Amino acid sequence: MIHDFFIQEFTFFFIYLIIVLSFNLAVGFTGMVNLGHMVFVGVGAYVSAILTLGGMQWYFALLLAGLISAALGILMAAVTSRLKGDYFQIVTLGVIFIAIAVSRNWVSLTRGALGLPGIPDIIKSNFYYMAFVGIVSVLFVLLFHWLVNSETGKIFQAIRDDETATAVLGKNTYFYKIFLMAISTFFAGIAGSLMAHQINFIDPSIFDLEQFIIILFMLIVGGLASIKGTIIGTLLLFVVIDALRFLVVAPEIIGPVRQMSLLIILLVVLIFRPRGLFGRVDV
Amino acid sequence: MPSILPQLVVNGLIAGSIYALAACGFALVYYVLKFQYFSHGAIISTAAYMSFLFLNLMGLNYVLAGILAIIVSLIAVLLSNWLVYRPMRKRKATPTTTLIASIVLLIFTSSLLLALFGSSTKTLALSNKNVTFDWGIFTITAIQISILILTLVLFFLLWLVMKKTRLGKAMRAIADNKDVAQIVGINPEKIYSYTFIISAVLGGVSGILIGLEQNLYPRMGVMIIIKGFIGSVIGGLGSVPGSIIGGLFIGLIENIGVWFLPTGYKDVISFSIMLLFLIFRPQGILGVKMRDDS
Repeated sequence: MIHDFFIQEFTFFFIYLIIVLSFNLAVGFTGMVNLGHMVFVGVGAYVSAILTLGGMQWYFALLLAGLISAALGILMAAVTSRLKGDYFQIVTLGVIFIAIAVSRNWVSLTRGALGLPGIPDIIKSNFYYMAFVGIVSVLFVLLFHWLVNSETGKIFQAIRDDETATAVLGKNTYFYKIFLMAISTFFAGIAGSLMAHQINFIDPSIFDLEQFIIILFMLIVGGLASIKGTIIGTLLLFVVIDALRFLVVAPEIIGPVRQMSLLIILLVVLIFRPRGLFGRVDV
Repeated sequence: MPSILPQLVVNGLIAGSIYALAACGFALVYYVLKFQYFSHGAIISTAAYMSFLFLNLMGLNYVLAGILAIIVSLIAVLLSNWLVYRPMRKRKATPTTTLIASIVLLIFTSSLLLALFGSSTKTLALSNKNVTFDWGIFTITAIQISILILTLVLFFLLWLVMKKTRLGKAMRAIADNKDVAQIVGINPEKIYSYTFIISAVLGGVSGILIGLEQNLYPRMGVMIIIKGFIGSVIGGLGSVPGSIIGGLFIGLIENIGVWFLPTGYKDVISFSIMLLFLIFRPQGILGVKMRDDS
């Protein structure tokens, strides 16, 4: 059964890799500290769950999960385009609480706090699903690598370093920021859909700050604006969590203890090495 | 049957003064130290749980329990300053890094409270908790009246400290221009510590008051500070009087909004108002100058 355990862990690793890379695209490569990134993952998961439970084919649902997330991402970027620095982060943080309120209260669509169980598998065999998710995430890493080294990627990084100067050089920073947010949230939605089909269940707790801390850990510990950093950071989280699994702790507090250990590591990194392991810019 | 509006206004004022209490501690730290102090929510929940510990579990007298709860929140604040915020200041951490660290501390506290006290909701035990006054058009409990009075007293004391004491003057000097303040011999680190201490007292008292009015649950700090912070943004980020007005405003709007929308959407109401403010009046109600980020 240890075999099954690793298959499951790797499936999650690949899914989180997509989430954190798309998070890094916004935060690390363009300087848009989108604290609500998990919201778009959750939206993708919900869209996919609702559509496949309604009888739609998974590939349409997967695509729509990405597109609807991206549409919301574009909306958020358009509304916040005039805000800068602190104010952008404030709004993205607030988006989390809107998502929680809506997912809990729009009962006819989301069944509220009960969540949506029984989301169908895409592929019955766990091993082949892992392989499928693995291929998707490797393709995404390659695409990502190409994107950040392309001209568009350079413009993203120029916006991060000095938005005014980039605009002065004749680049339409408004367009690029919205474009970036669309890509970032599109892949967040895709990852959310893949996650929903893996755990077969979705409820409003996906929007909780505790979930956000996990991807924040991967991003910050790995380092901003670095693909290698994100891969290592994601891997490291799984190592830490699995190591904690074998510690003897009373089962009723294992959740909070795991959370606190992650938070302490994250805090130490933030204080002493805010660039993380391979980061190239400050948070 | 009389209109429900007076009752909604009273409920709004009580919720609003709780938000305003949370907001002014947050705003005070933002004003002096220039970072988003989300771990203020952690202090509020710590104080609430400590008063639960001393009052319910240890059976202490309520005055003593309150004082001890405030002392614990003071220790927690000073620890967070020594262990986290001061090292970060020394290393010239960016505001975003400090913001993330404060969110980390906030969630750390809710995990710690979850591990120590469990996930079930708790209620503070007070003998005269259910004394209610009925004035026909609305009802109010004795606890709620004391919340309103204590809130006013705290705001007055805060105003006194900020405007009439040397400490308040020094805090305002540091907030306005740290370099010039240092030249005239004000030690910023000392003022920062005092700011944290004042915010801890504010947070401690608000934690106890919130504990009397609402149930305690490990994640309460997150929910409270989000409202406090929204109030602070609406009033004008970095303005202490503005944060108080903003907090009251949010409490009123949310409770009157229940007329139009289900209760579950309270958060959506306050957040939408904040968004409208950020887009059309980012300087807030009191018109504080926006911080220059570029």
